[in-house]
Amino acid sequence: MSKPVPLSKLDEKEFIVPANSACQGCAGSIVARIVSKVIGEDMVRQEVACCGPAFGNITQPVFYGEVFEGAGAMMTGFARAFNRLGRDDIRVTGIIGDGGTTDIGFQGLSASAERNEDMLWVCYDNEAYMNTGGQRSSATTKFAATTTTPVGEFSRGKKERKKPLPILVGVHRVPYMATASVAYPEDFIGKLQYAKPVKGFRFIQVSAPCPTGWNYDPRYSVKVAKEMVLSGLWPLYEVVEGALRITYKPKELKPVKDVLRSQGRFRHITDEEVDEIQGEVDEFWGRLQEKDGGPLF
Amino acid sequence: MEIRFHGRGGQGAVTGVRILATALFYDGKFTQGIPMYGTERRGAPVVSFLRVGDERINERDLVHEPDMVVVLDPLLGRTVPITEGLKKGGLVLINHPKGGKETGLGGKFKVATVDATSIALEVIGRPITNTAILGAFAKVTGMVTLEAIEKAISEQWSGRVADMNVRAVRKAYEMVSEPVDVSGVKPVDVVKPVPGDRDVSSWRLFKPEMDKGKCIGCRRCYILCPEVAISMVDNKADINYRYCKGCGICVEECPVKAIEFVQETI
Ligand SMILES: Cc1ncc(C[n+]2csc(CCOP(=O)(O)OP(=O)(O)O)c2C)c(N)n1
Ligand code: SF4
Ligand code: SF4
Repeated sequence: MSKPVPLSKLDEKEFIVPANSACQGCAGSIVARIVSKVIGEDMVRQEVACCGPAFGNITQPVFYGEVFEGAGAMMTGFARAFNRLGRDDIRVTGIIGDGGTTDIGFQGLSASAERNEDMLWVCYDNEAYMNTGGQRSSATTKFAATTTTPVGEFSRGKKERKKPLPILVGVHRVPYMATASVAYPEDFIGKLQYAKPVKGFRFIQVSAPCPTGWNYDPRYSVKVAKEMVLSGLWPLYEVVEGALRITYKPKELKPVKDVLRSQGRFRHITDEEVDEIQGEVDEFWGRLQEKDGGPLF
Repeated sequence: MEIRFHGRGGQGAVTGVRILATALFYDGKFTQGIPMYGTERRGAPVVSFLRVGDERINERDLVHEPDMVVVLDPLLGRTVPITEGLKKGGLVLINHPKGGKETGLGGKFKVATVDATSIALEVIGRPITNTAILGAFAKVTGMVTLEAIEKAISEQWSGRVADMNVRAVRKAYEMVSEPVDVSGVKPVDVVKPVPGDRDVSSWRLFKPEMDKGKCIGCRRCYILCPEVAISMVDNKADINYRYCKGCGICVEECPVKAIEFVQETI
């Protein structure tokens, strides 16, 4: 079980080079920095062609795979090779976008999880293929305007609901699965610290808003992430050896309306559409609470 | 005539060129708007090109020796050689709050300035300068009418957004300065970014200013700055402005409001 880590407990050591070439206010950058800091010296990192390389000027060794479907396979190779070399101290860590995780990378992810390969897969979830200009992914929230689901006479934005990837990974019976958010760094760091020494497949999906793709002022990146947690759009929970635990419980969920309307990608949505998302959020939150403290399935 | 546009990702250099090319076409000209696509992200330097003539243009190359350069960002010239290839006697139109001789540009060309950032902040509420600069373009070149620009804008946007952009265009038309000769001015050196020690200070439109007396040392801004520009010195947050892009996250997230966001002075 993870425990939030107070920020005062962090040391000053950094593994990331300051000032990157990502957008102003990129929350994915915050994810890469925190992962590099917490996993530290022992990290060997896998990247694919996401925005990651733009913000991942990290000094730990990196292996870069041009194609997304390769992440799981490449990390499997590294994990096994380091194991053969007797280097059990090394933590093979992926910092991979939602497209490279939930869609194109999914078979490699699922296969690695099923084989319980010794790796930590961190997905920074900006809810679209941002590096190539903001195309929808299966992690995009319903009704969001993206460049492949524009809003117009015949389209209300993305038609499908967000894929419940954390649950999908959880039912692979992996040793550790968690959700996290850049707005709750203490919780995220606690989860990384817990996951770091665990052997086998570990997965953390981190909500990382994108000012460019979601169309809001960069200064609100963390605020938007926070409102998503407070409204139940992105609940924080973990599954340790099959048992689910909600790690942050707002007393009462805020309505999703305000956080949706604060983003340009949802500016068009009607009250009925808000209600539809609200209904789904309430239902999912209800189920999570039922399962809290017990088995995921 | 060939024109090069410089801007930053998010300022709308590509859209600006498209609107201008359309407007010139409405005024009976032949035009080409040429966007350059790469992996540029919001805030990173971008270029796009415009070609205009009275007859059909068969050339399809990028513009290498422009007659005119349009610059959407006042500080871009610190890291990008914006006057490279500019023809002798050419013209630079730059978004800058000061006069043509005080922009850091110098050489055998003229410089006209317009404070498009202030106009955009006032009229549109966001520092998107691509439409305002078109009003200034119309005035200093006399090549395109305001009516044509307004028509092209109303095809790009509608309603309130179109109205705001039209107002920004008109205001910039009024406010742009006369081009001045800068052959006597010594240009400020262009400093290219050093890998591993990037200076991103020129990305900033607003600057986070820290009141150390108020800081309680909670470290929230320190862990949330996407650029890792904040360190803790004697348990107080300390901003290294070389690495700060001015995103404003620290300003929003400080629980005791120790950080203020103030517009950069140039
Ligand atoms: C198999 C494959 N298809 C397409 C691409 C082209 N491509 C490069 S980056 C990118 C977008 C990545 O999206 P995501 O994984 O969500 O990460 P983000 O860009 O949002 O950080 C795409 C489609 C690729 N590299 N590999
Ligand atoms: S404005 Fe953004 S980049 Fe600058 S110090 Fe604050 S959080 Fe960091
Ligand atoms: S968030 Fe505010 S109080 Fe906390 S360390 Fe930063 S400046 Fe100081």
